[in-house]
Amino acid sequence: MKFTIDWLNEYVNTDGITSAQLADHLTMLGLEVDAVTELFQELAPVQTALVLSVERHPDADSLSLCQVAVGAETLQIVCGAPNVRPGLATAIALPGTTLPGGVKIKKSKVRGIESYGMLCSERELGLGSGHGGIMELPADTPHGQSFIHALGLSDTLVEVDLTPNRSDCASVIGIAREVAGVLRRPLTLPVESASIQSSCAMFSVDIESSELCPRYGARLISGVTIAPSPWWLRKRLLSIGLRPINNVVDITNLVMMEYGQPLHAFDFDKLADKKIIVRHPRMDELDFVTLDGVARKLDAEMLMICDGVQPVAVAGIMGGMNSEVSDTTTAILLESACFDPVLIRKTARKLNLSSEASYRFERGVDPGGCILAMERAVRLLCEVAGGTVEPGGVDKYGGQKPFNTLTLRISRTSELLGIPLDYEKIADVLTSIGFRCKEKDADTLWVGAPSFRVDIEREVDLVEEVARLIGYNTIPTSLPTVQLSYPEQDAKRIIRAKIGTLLTGIGYFEAINYSFTSEKHVQWLGLAENDPRCPFVRLVNPLSEDQSVMRTMLLPGLLENVERNINFQKTAIKLFETGKVFTPKGDNEQPLERMRLAGVLSGNRFGESSPYHCKQQAVDILDAKGAMEYLLQGLRLLKEGTLSPLRFTSPSQDQIEPFVDPTQVLAVSSGDQELGIIARILPAILRKFGIKQDVFFFDLDLDALCQLDPVAKNFTALPVFPAVNRDIAMLVPEAVAAGALVDAVLQVQDPLIEQCEIFDVYQGDSVKRGLKSVALSVTYRSSQKTLTEKNVEKVHTKIVNMLGSKFEGTLREG
Amino acid sequence: MEQKLLSLQDEAKKNLDQLVDAGQLEDFRIRYLGRKGQFSTIMRELGAVAPEERPRVGQLANTIKEEIEKLFEEKKVLLGGNAQSGAKGAKLIDLSLPGRYPERGRLHPVTQIMNEVCSIFEAMGFSVAEGPDVEQDHYNFEALNIPAHHPARDMHDTFYVSDSILLRTHTSPMQARIMESQQPPLRVIAPGKVYRCDSDITHTPMFHQVEGFLVDTKVSFADLKGILTVFTQKMFDKDLPLRFRPSFFPFTEPSAEVDIACVICGGSGCRVCKQTGWLEILGAGMIDPEVFKMVGYDPEIYSGFAFGLGIERIAMLKYGINDIRLYYENDLRFLAQF
Repeated sequence: MKFTIDWLNEYVNTDGITSAQLADHLTMLGLEVDAVTELFQELAPVQTALVLSVERHPDADSLSLCQVAVGAETLQIVCGAPNVRPGLATAIALPGTTLPGGVKIKKSKVRGIESYGMLCSERELGLGSGHGGIMELPADTPHGQSFIHALGLSDTLVEVDLTPNRSDCASVIGIAREVAGVLRRPLTLPVESASIQSSCAMFSVDIESSELCPRYGARLISGVTIAPSPWWLRKRLLSIGLRPINNVVDITNLVMMEYGQPLHAFDFDKLADKKIIVRHPRMDELDFVTLDGVARKLDAEMLMICDGVQPVAVAGIMGGMNSEVSDTTTAILLESACFDPVLIRKTARKLNLSSEASYRFERGVDPGGCILAMERAVRLLCEVAGGTVEPGGVDKYGGQKPFNTLTLRISRTSELLGIPLDYEKIADVLTSIGFRCKEKDADTLWVGAPSFRVDIEREVDLVEEVARLIGYNTIPTSLPTVQLSYPEQDAKRIIRAKIGTLLTGIGYFEAINYSFTSEKHVQWLGLAENDPRCPFVRLVNPLSEDQSVMRTMLLPGLLENVERNINFQKTAIKLFETGKVFTPKGDNEQPLERMRLAGVLSGNRFGESSPYHCKQQAVDILDAKGAMEYLLQGLRLLKEGTLSPLRFTSPSQDQIEPFVDPTQVLAVSSGDQELGIIARILPAILRKFGIKQDVFFFDLDLDALCQLDPVAKNFTALPVFPAVNRDIAMLVPEAVAAGALVDAVLQVQDPLIEQCEIFDVYQGDSVKRGLKSVALSVTYRSSQKTLTEKNVEKVHTKIVNMLGSKFEGTLREG
Repeated sequence: MEQKLLSLQDEAKKNLDQLVDAGQLEDFRIRYLGRKGQFSTIMRELGAVAPEERPRVGQLANTIKEEIEKLFEEKKVLLGGNAQSGAKGAKLIDLSLPGRYPERGRLHPVTQIMNEVCSIFEAMGFSVAEGPDVEQDHYNFEALNIPAHHPARDMHDTFYVSDSILLRTHTSPMQARIMESQQPPLRVIAPGKVYRCDSDITHTPMFHQVEGFLVDTKVSFADLKGILTVFTQKMFDKDLPLRFRPSFFPFTEPSAEVDIACVICGGSGCRVCKQTGWLEILGAGMIDPEVFKMVGYDPEIYSGFAFGLGIERIAMLKYGINDIRLYYENDLRFLAQF
């Protein structure tokens, strides 16, 4: 909602209040001021001028050579306007001025004659469409003055961001009422009251549904002369950014902005049978051209204003071309009506057409105000457009609602707001904006809400009014008195928080990607059509194709992040994300939402650590595996050095993801349950994401992970006796997994074996081709005594022999 | 001789200063303090000094020798060496070299702020609940007193999945979901992702909110102000001016927006606060009786308040981030700043 302070002053005197104070008052009343702007600042350099003499340009018939007085100076100006004549007061832009359209005025030569400025038309000044000639100002306008001042254009525009409940403030008078209330100053209305006799011999009105059209008022004004509006009227519309059209249309717009009541003027002579029928369109009437020249497709639910033959307007939204007021119009049928908000909203949506009228009707227009606003417009039409109003008129008020008197409990209001209040205080603030209050009993008021407050229906609505009017900032602050209770914690949130702490602790940065993505990603990854990640939850109205489906995997988003970071020269990338993936269930059913954890790593292992300590080294699959081991140990799902239920295994050939390197992939599982994978992504797949270097990733089902029982923290007595360490270097075929040797050692049932670790794997010169050397360190310890070399010899030999026979290995010499 | 002693003192001190490793200590000891060292050599000349001068010069020689010995012992401790054993190879470390530590990642700034917000409310006894991102129209709108065709739906540019399924436009559906399944007293916050079809320098189609609500008997607007004042002071600065102003949400009445004094300009007016000196940080209000009725609470018995705040916006204000799109590019140069 836009208005100007000069306009507001017509209804309430704001003398002594600065625009900043006024804006603050409105904001604190719930009418949030978005902007306060001084108007027409771009016209500040334009001055008034008086044409002294006019001669024909010696070299051009269409140009005039004028002497123009601008204050003390007399300037020579070349002008092409047909209406330039001696004695004309007009506007001049002197050299150096930039006009609203961007034209910069310079001293110039026009066909050899010097011109020291430009006499301006309305269009050039951005004040209208008239380009028939230069502006004609009232003859007594003094020259050499600021144009803005001379025309009374200086004004301040205020823009209010209206909340949908305050339709009454979609009008300057509505705003003025609030201002009058807060300033405790009187409100002056151009028309205080009006009524019409509902009878007019000249035309008739029929309403098919008073549900959809609770009130329809109309009057006939004849003898109208269509012309441009006078300055004061055009100025009002221009100041809030509305384009003046002609006197009749401008008046309907002005009164709409003033009272909040949309009005429509029909060319009466174009209405067949001198009839208005408010009805739904018939099946053969579904094509309709609105005033803006657009052909619209109607449907049978919409409500139309029709004449005796056909629709002439879309009710409450926009008139039709077929009944538009034109230059030749002489009789106006003025409509001031009220329509159902939901009907208007649906229609405006369907037609994709919203107007100042539909904006107001959607939010609710006061049926009680129709006739008042119509009266104001009628008076202006007579005064400004020279019309004569026909006696009588129509006021069909089928949808009149019984007067709604509410009760308001003082104790309830005080309790809800947390501030002591009494009858006087409540009645005082409510009456300041037009509510009527009466004492019902010691604790209760009768409150009558004015009809324009269509939002006031319940006691709580009044409580809000009281709070708003006494001012939110006068309400004290307190802390609620509540029963002490322990807020239960969501286990999944706790695990997510731990994951964050653990992974950031080893250099991973958390990423957050959009939940919506592009379908092409799963194609790039080469997922089979029947892959459970291929059916998507689709958005009906995505912003773009790239954000049209809900993600089924976290990996693609992270790969996009990798690509971006490589482009910005990051040499070490470690990112993780915890987030939801979505699997559709059925139409009109919420999808399955599962939480996953995924991470990617690429580039330098040591990140941004100092190169003095850590020489550049590319990450490999074991970094990804290590991150998972570290994480799962941190979550106590994997216990160091033991055989836990959680396992990293090579997936069987048919279970390998199509986008991973089959030689570098590990499945993470617990019992029969698949939890996720760790893998290297195939370079060919990465290239589709624009990545030309190795990327490794891990991906876990977080919901499944949350179901696992963490290893309990059980104390084990510290060993009393020292351990004995023995190393074994075995030569085994190169296909044997080093980890299998460790597993085999740990599986040997002997109480002395405490731990077994790999400390070297070697292939090279001193090792025969096809073999590799795996060096293990075995820790032996007894809980009974200090072991000697001799004590462990037996079990150690057993282990060596076992490894030898199980893996076709031999003890490596030396 | 006196002159020789003094210059020896100077020379020895200078040499001692320049020692950088324990191995050099022994050389020094032999050269100056040893049995054939320079002090011993000089002392032998004492006999040549005039007898009346002898006690004084002898005294001076002893003082200087003691001083050098003391400095030598101090240096020995410093270099950790054992002068006797020589401890070859122990070098003085160049402390200007970078320290050695494992690399450290960071949580996303949105997560950091989210955690901060949640922990403030958790400390006040609020429990945390999360709900679905893909929500029913019923919970997102209807149950919050926003029927179909209500103009308030214009405040939510909604992504639809079907006629009745959508991406939640706010975390408020959790109010209805929780109240529907639990009885008061309730103190809950609901953090999560929300979606609106809007994208420019100040809007991303996905962002994060935290919803909070408290329902009990006799909860007042003053209590709402109290809780949010505590929150704002903990989140920002305890002396930051705060104001509550009327607004409209269909599911609260009275409704309020909470503004803090602009943290950019300090309240004098700037581009960020649109010259008002104030920044809107959250929406709130007393839960509307219609919402209570829909979940079967008696509004005559229970009252409560609800509030919602945008995490990205708070992060922008706290950290001075000027483009909301940075949050979802996951650029390490951005992530590493927080």
